[in-house]
Amino acid sequence: MRDKGFVLVFAFLGSILFLFLTIPLIKLFLSVGFVNIFTTIQDKEVYDSIFLTLKSAFYAVVFVCITGIPLAYLIARYDFWGKSILESILDIPVMVPHTAAGIALLVAFSNGYIDFIDTTTGIVSAMMFLSAPFLINGAKEGFKKVDVKYEYVARTLGASRLSAFFSIVLPNARNDIINGALMMWSRGLGEFGAVVIIAYHPMVAPVLIYDRFNNYGLKYSAPVAADMILVSIVLFLTVRFVNNRLK
Amino acid sequence: MLKVENIFLKKGSFVLHKLSFEVEKNSYFVILGKTGSGKTMLLEALAGIQKVEGKIFCGDIEVTNISPEKRNFGFVYQDFVLFPNMNVQDNIKFSSKYKKIENKGELCDDLVDFLQIKEILGRNIKNLSGGEKQRVAIARAIYSRPKLLLLDEPLSAVDPTFINSIMKSLKDIVKRYDMTIIHVTHNFREASFLADKVAVLLDGRILQIGDTYEVLNEPKNIEVAKFLGFKNIFPTKLLGFEQNGRYFSVDPNKIGFGDKDGNDTYSFDCVIENILGMSEHYKVFAKVGNETFFCKVHKSALEGKELKEGQKTKIYMDKKDVKFI
Repeated sequence: MRDKGFVLVFAFLGSILFLFLTIPLIKLFLSVGFVNIFTTIQDKEVYDSIFLTLKSAFYAVVFVCITGIPLAYLIARYDFWGKSILESILDIPVMVPHTAAGIALLVAFSNGYIDFIDTTTGIVSAMMFLSAPFLINGAKEGFKKVDVKYEYVARTLGASRLSAFFSIVLPNARNDIINGALMMWSRGLGEFGAVVIIAYHPMVAPVLIYDRFNNYGLKYSAPVAADMILVSIVLFLTVRFVNNRLK
Repeated sequence: MLKVENIFLKKGSFVLHKLSFEVEKNSYFVILGKTGSGKTMLLEALAGIQKVEGKIFCGDIEVTNISPEKRNFGFVYQDFVLFPNMNVQDNIKFSSKYKKIENKGELCDDLVDFLQIKEILGRNIKNLSGGEKQRVAIARAIYSRPKLLLLDEPLSAVDPTFINSIMKSLKDIVKRYDMTIIHVTHNFREASFLADKVAVLLDGRILQIGDTYEVLNEPKNIEVAKFLGFKNIFPTKLLGFEQNGRYFSVDPNKIGFGDKDGNDTYSFDCVIENILGMSEHYKVFAKVGNETFFCKVHKSALEGKELKEGQKTKIYMDKKDVKFI
């Protein structure tokens, strides 16, 4: 009987948060209406904006996969001088205000060598700067869970370090890496503060939503927001479903 | 086959102190040592996983700086380390992706038959028992055709019911697959059944090395004797010898109570300190000077004699039962 009370109290508290998280989404979809959602996504400006957002966030994830996964592996496997400082530095982007990050990126890279302002490169950079820690930390935790002895044994069986990494370490850390990549991607999709400083145009979805809200009000921005949320949910569910099927 | 010369390895506070030994081709070599004595680290050093100072030769070739993938030494860890992203069959055949294995089809069939793993070939490794995992790990290592097979406490996670049959299989591997084995363990029974030669490794030092019977029965120093479970280790002064720094040991079962003098016997006055009654025998602690002898006396041997705590009496032992260390 006491157990039942315990579970009920926890379920009640949890359901408050659950409702807080889901009511705005449900309310948004209901108020916009599904017809309006599908009509809006056919608007070229909205479609281009959502596609640009997805594409830029994806490029950011790919770049961090290539550069951040090796870094995460080194941090997970080795102890070296300055390791904790390096880990703290890598976490800084999560802590700084996004507009400040945008300014910092602008100062660092708007030097004429890279076509940075109002370009996809600038958008990808902003997304990457603020969301890379999610993938790096996810991969790091994944690598830590893979006992180094797997690599040792693979090597005694003839695999080089690189082969052992690709055939043993990476597949066994896959779930954490994919979760980290999804977190990074989702953070990238929602990035506004840094992107708006670097590239108001071409407009990514969060900037378009802001722009329409500012110029035309809630009625015109809400359908774009609903479209963006819907596309994100469908994509996330698809990636998770495919990952679970591959297990 | 394997010659190790003065290998030295320091990792954190742990050190392997300039170890040297040789292992003959097609022999079964057991390294006995306590947990934390450096056994696994030594095997990893031999496999090339840990970098060491000193020299390691395999035949005439120095392999000290050769990477693990080129050294061709198989390794089976205590916890077997089967790759979780592969099933049993893929685990076994893993090495064929990276090196050419002669007659691999026949070899695989033979291993499957020898280690009785046919039924589990398609199974996920999460669904294997300890004994099955152990057999798969051994099959995987042998399939890679190593010159030397390194086994790190391979029987510690196996159901005791199957240990005898698995030990027999391990012993057969040497001849069947033309292989040399180094097996580390803390278990004397494994060593006495499997080993052609034994080394005792304690605190990163090899304290004794030799034929199995000799090492297990004739320890050369007090640390080895204590590790091997020898009881009643006392200075030889107690027997009347002048030489300092030498010790003797006597089996608790070989000590008798009462008067027995003669040229073939050592006899001491003692005081009974403590008597513990067990099911078939008594554990008796008898004080001789400053030393306390531990004696195991069968209950039938004490019929008619009465031992009481605090009683003054005599203990004796035959000279042939006294082992000098």
